[in-house]
Amino acid sequence: MNLFTKRLSRKTPESEAAIAMRRNKYKNPTISESPDNRRRRKRDFIIIGIVVAIVTLLSFFTVKALQFNSDIPVSNMVLMFILININMLLVVLLIFLVFRNLIKLIYERRKKVEGSKLRTKLVATFIALTLLPSTVLFFFSLHFITSSIEFWFQIPIDQSLDNSLAVGRNIYKLVEDNNTFFLDKAAYQIVSRDLLSNKNKKELSNYTQVVQRAFNLNVVEIYNAGFKRQTVSVDSKLGNKIFTPLTEEAFQTGIHRKTDTWAVSENFDGGEVIRNISAIPFGATEDEIKGFVVISVLLPQDLVKNLASISKGVEEYQQMKMLKQPVQFTYYIILTVVALLVVFCAIWFGMYLSKSITIPIMELAEGTRRVAGGDLTYNINVVADDEIKTLVDSFNKMTRDLRFSRKELELSARELFEKNIEIDEKRRYMEIVLNNVSTGVVSLDARGLVATANHSAEKMLDIDAAAIIKKSYKHILKNQHNELVDEIYDRFWNKREESLSRALNMTIEGLPKSFKVNFNSLKDDAGRQIGLVMVFDDMTELEKAQRMAAWREVARRIAHEVKNPLTPISLSAQRLKRKYKQIIDDPVFEECTQTIIDHTELIKNLINEFAKFARFPTANPEPCELPPIIHETIALYKEGLPNIAFSTHIPDNVPILLLDRQQIKQTLINLIDNAIASIRTQGRISLTIEFGTNEKTIKLVVADTGSGISDVLKPSLFEPDFTTKKSGMGLGLAIVSTIISDHKGKIHVEDNDPHGAKFVIEFPV
Amino acid sequence: MQKHIKIYLLLLYFTLLLPSLAFAIDVQLSGIQVTTTTDNLLLSLKVEGAFNEKLEEAVLNGIPATFSFFIHLSRERTLWADEQIVELKVTHTLKYHNLKNHYIIKKSWQDNKPVIAESFDEAKKMMSEINGLTIIPLKKLLKENRYQITAKAELNKVKLPFLLNYILFFASLWDFETEWHSYEFIY
Repeated sequence: MNLFTKRLSRKTPESEAAIAMRRNKYKNPTISESPDNRRRRKRDFIIIGIVVAIVTLLSFFTVKALQFNSDIPVSNMVLMFILININMLLVVLLIFLVFRNLIKLIYERRKKVEGSKLRTKLVATFIALTLLPSTVLFFFSLHFITSSIEFWFQIPIDQSLDNSLAVGRNIYKLVEDNNTFFLDKAAYQIVSRDLLSNKNKKELSNYTQVVQRAFNLNVVEIYNAGFKRQTVSVDSKLGNKIFTPLTEEAFQTGIHRKTDTWAVSENFDGGEVIRNISAIPFGATEDEIKGFVVISVLLPQDLVKNLASISKGVEEYQQMKMLKQPVQFTYYIILTVVALLVVFCAIWFGMYLSKSITIPIMELAEGTRRVAGGDLTYNINVVADDEIKTLVDSFNKMTRDLRFSRKELELSARELFEKNIEIDEKRRYMEIVLNNVSTGVVSLDARGLVATANHSAEKMLDIDAAAIIKKSYKHILKNQHNELVDEIYDRFWNKREESLSRALNMTIEGLPKSFKVNFNSLKDDAGRQIGLVMVFDDMTELEKAQRMAAWREVARRIAHEVKNPLTPISLSAQRLKRKYKQIIDDPVFEECTQTIIDHTELIKNLINEFAKFARFPTANPEPCELPPIIHETIALYKEGLPNIAFSTHIPDNVPILLLDRQQIKQTLINLIDNAIASIRTQGRISLTIEFGTNEKTIKLVVADTGSGISDVLKPSLFEPDFTTKKSGMGLGLAIVSTIISDHKGKIHVEDNDPHGAKFVIEFPV
Repeated sequence: MQKHIKIYLLLLYFTLLLPSLAFAIDVQLSGIQVTTTTDNLLLSLKVEGAFNEKLEEAVLNGIPATFSFFIHLSRERTLWADEQIVELKVTHTLKYHNLKNHYIIKKSWQDNKPVIAESFDEAKKMMSEINGLTIIPLKKLLKENRYQITAKAELNKVKLPFLLNYILFFASLWDFETEWHSYEFIY
């Protein structure tokens, strides 16, 4: 009962969650099956098993009791009543469980709990499959019972039994009638012959024997009015068996009944003695009675048994007939109960079977959903021992294999990731290296398209790496060396050569640049060409320095070799002039000597200039301000050149620089000289300092509105021997370039807008 | 849940007891009389309505019927529980003899001596009546005391032939049991 109570009291997880699997319902859903669900299902199964077992056992004992103990005492009846009641109780419990599950199923179906549809179908199928044969069998049995019972009572046994009973009754009646007749005759004779008087005792005895023998009676007795036996005559066939006299009560009963004769039956020697009594005289009233005649007839044992059998048979038949309806009704009830039991057991079994099918399916569905969602740890725990188990095992094995595979994949991915990181680090390291090397490196892919370009290449070639990626290498060469483009293609893509080295002169941002370019074929481990790498070395400054050194050496030698003969030449010419001035009064002489002296002086000046260039001291920078130097230099020219407008644009925040004041002043003088020289009539010369707070260089721009410098001349502008003047050795800008280089600065020339030239000097801050 | 259990128990109760209620017969005890002889206290009473159609049919079909009479005699006491003096159970059994077409009545208080009744009415009368049943010798009673006789009658379960009494276990067709009737007297 406690279990029962608990089952009633427990709220199902379906009502809480399933509401889930449902939750599960199948909470969870959780259609998955939770341990609680499994426990409940197991408990239900145990309960129904116990109920069925107990009902079967009790039914068995009840039937046994019915069959073999037809005369059970009251205590056993009570026991049987208890058994049957328990039986009924258990049947009711079974019905309750079945209906509870049915209602639960309907509820789940309305709530659209997963798996309920399939379960409903299975249960409905089971019910239909059970109901159909059960109903047919039930109604057939019902009909069979009805027909059988009707058939039993339709047999014309009624009449036979009635006839048998009539025969039995007639035997008794015949005996009674015969005895009555003899009683009447005997009583008459006794009265008429006054045989009851004391004097006729002997005659009475004789008459009794005569009557007994004459009518072939078994016993004839005569009693007086005081119920005392006077004489008795017993048939000799009965032997010496003693017939006890009748009691007074036997006579009194007859007297009160007021009939002519009456009978008393007794068992005698296995048979039945019928003792018929009548008063003397026959039919006398109580007051007239003088005595009694008793005639006894013995019915033999066989006849008595047969009569008893007839009596019992009739009684039993009539009792059966009387109980026909209740018995029929009881059979119906029993049949109905058994049929219901079968049906409910089948329904329960159907529910159990449907659960055993649907739950694994729902588990599988849930598992598939979970696995599809990425949860490979899901494991189905369904206890089964059929193909469902194979399916479940296969699913669990699949998820387990997937789990292992995923772990291996994750491991591989992690290793790959680490390798990628390593490769990426290496790549970045290489990029950093490439970006920090002074040489420009450009790589091409197998189709000749730019794959990468490092920072130095961008800067060196004035290109934007992002803009030229996936473009032809012709863009790098800026269409300045078409022959080389063709040659590269021919050598590397046609002839599959390994490397090529070339010196290139290119104009970058209007500036002449000298590069040494190495082309190297890129090949993979299999020897297939996967591209080309171009390495640019900027040789401009080196070449310039080399040229400068060469020029200095030339200047030193010229100064040394040429200057020495000049002094004797000049002295000699002066001496000739002085000595022969009076002798040779020829203007030609005068003019020639003077020309020698002048040009010797001119040459000497040139030599001095060379010597000065050759001996040009290295800069000695000190912290000083640039603006005062500019102002001082301009002051030298302002007054003397009214046709030229000088202007300065100097910001306030110009920092102090490390400068050799004298050399910087010399630089400005040379540049302003060149600017003045380029201005033919009127013009403007401006000196501007450009400095941003975050910049690492300060720019000094000397711009003029003169004739400007053509692009052809720009490459050799800062080399010695460059001049546009008629006099001079063209060393001015070479000296300027040297000074700026000594200050770790840079100088380049640009076209001024709208005309003129613009020299831009950059000093490091 | 408790409600559900109650409903189920109630249903079960009605299922099991309804047949008994349906076949219950309204039977009464009447004519309770207490008389005395010189030595004994005698009781007479009568059961009315004991024989219905079904019971008569059952008897005529040879099923023996037995009435049980329960008779208690107690002495009333004030401020104290009544004293139970006598507890009697007597039975009357009726059996129809179909061959001889008479009725045999046996009364336990008359040593179960068979008494023949030629008619059913006579038999019914004999079955239903107790006349002069000795309850107790008068010498055992206290003078000037108040006594109470309570009695009830019931029909024993009709003994059906062979298996029918089990098959018809729930069909208590002819069961009856009267209320307790009491009769007070002062000796």
